Amino acid sequence: MFSFFRKKSSANTAKDRLTIAIMSDRENNSYPFMDEMKAELIEVVKKYMGVKTIDIKKEVVDGVEALSIDVELDKK
Amino acid sequence: MGRIIAVISGKGGVGKTTTSANVGLGIAMNEKKCVVVDFDIGQRNLDMILGLENRVVYDIVQVMDEEVKLKQALIKSKYSDNLFFLAASQTKDKTVLDSAKIKKFVTELSEEFEYVILDAPAGIESGYEHTIEFADSAIIVVNPEVSSIRDADRAIGILDSKSQKVKDGKEVLKYLIINRINPKMVQSGEMLASEDILDILNVPLVGKVPEDKGIIDASNQGKPIILDKNSPAGQAYSRISSRLCGENIEMMDVESIKEGFIDKIKGIFK
Repeated sequence: MFSFFRKKSSANTAKDRLTIAIMSDRENNSYPFMDEMKAELIEVVKKYMGVKTIDIKKEVVDGVEALSIDVELDKK
Repeated sequence: MGRIIAVISGKGGVGKTTTSANVGLGIAMNEKKCVVVDFDIGQRNLDMILGLENRVVYDIVQVMDEEVKLKQALIKSKYSDNLFFLAASQTKDKTVLDSAKIKKFVTELSEEFEYVILDAPAGIESGYEHTIEFADSAIIVVNPEVSSIRDADRAIGILDSKSQKVKDGKEVLKYLIINRINPKMVQSGEMLASEDILDILNVPLVGKVPEDKGIIDASNQGKPIILDKNSPAGQAYSRISSRLCGENIEMMDVESIKEGFIDKIKGIFK
């Protein structure tokens, strides 16, 4: 009978699961130096060709970290 | 210069468009000149919620492309002389947007209006990024439910890295709205309470909106629920709008609302 009262509410379960999921989302999505690296990359590519934007994403697949860099070139 | 506020959520279907319509109208009812802009290119909806779908002639893409003047595209609300609306393009897709055009467009709006409300598309793709790019603040709409909260956190992350204001070293102001709160479920521990959501997301709260059946009826009629003074959600939107206009209104404890005796009697006869 008492186990019914001791049962964790589903809202608490949601909070615990969310806290962990969001923490891992946050660390998986970027490195602290991302903006700086992006600015430098733009400078490097600019030496050779026109660049519109660079988009850098940190990706974690099966525990392996990868960096995906999209360079959008200027049409001119 | 007026304020530019993007309404975002990450996840779709949490009440972003309903919030844009009601907060826009609420701000206008506070005697401020306000425009609500549908940025959901290809999936126009705000016109329906505001009851203006029959008056749309020109859309924001035509304004940005300078095919028409801003004044020609602005539609005045039926409910307030202070509220104007700009429709999203229904035919084009969101790849037509570009930063320079958007900057010019929102700058022009902020010269004309005290409050510019941009209703962002769901998701965190380019359409979303363009909506937040030149906003000085954001209203984040969440439901007390895991997928909405997680997606909102992602959207906030992008807001904090991609908006022009952040790139300039400033901070984008954030206002959290917790929408569709079911007080009974919170009381019984089946729904996340506001404090829990605030702990997780760590953004300031601007208001809590209870679940309200009247919302469907309001959207059926194209009459924002804020016009119904007796509706709990309408009252919540009214308080939120006043807070956004700088008034100091105490946060109502929506979660501990109990079904009143009179309501119960009414329920029996329904």
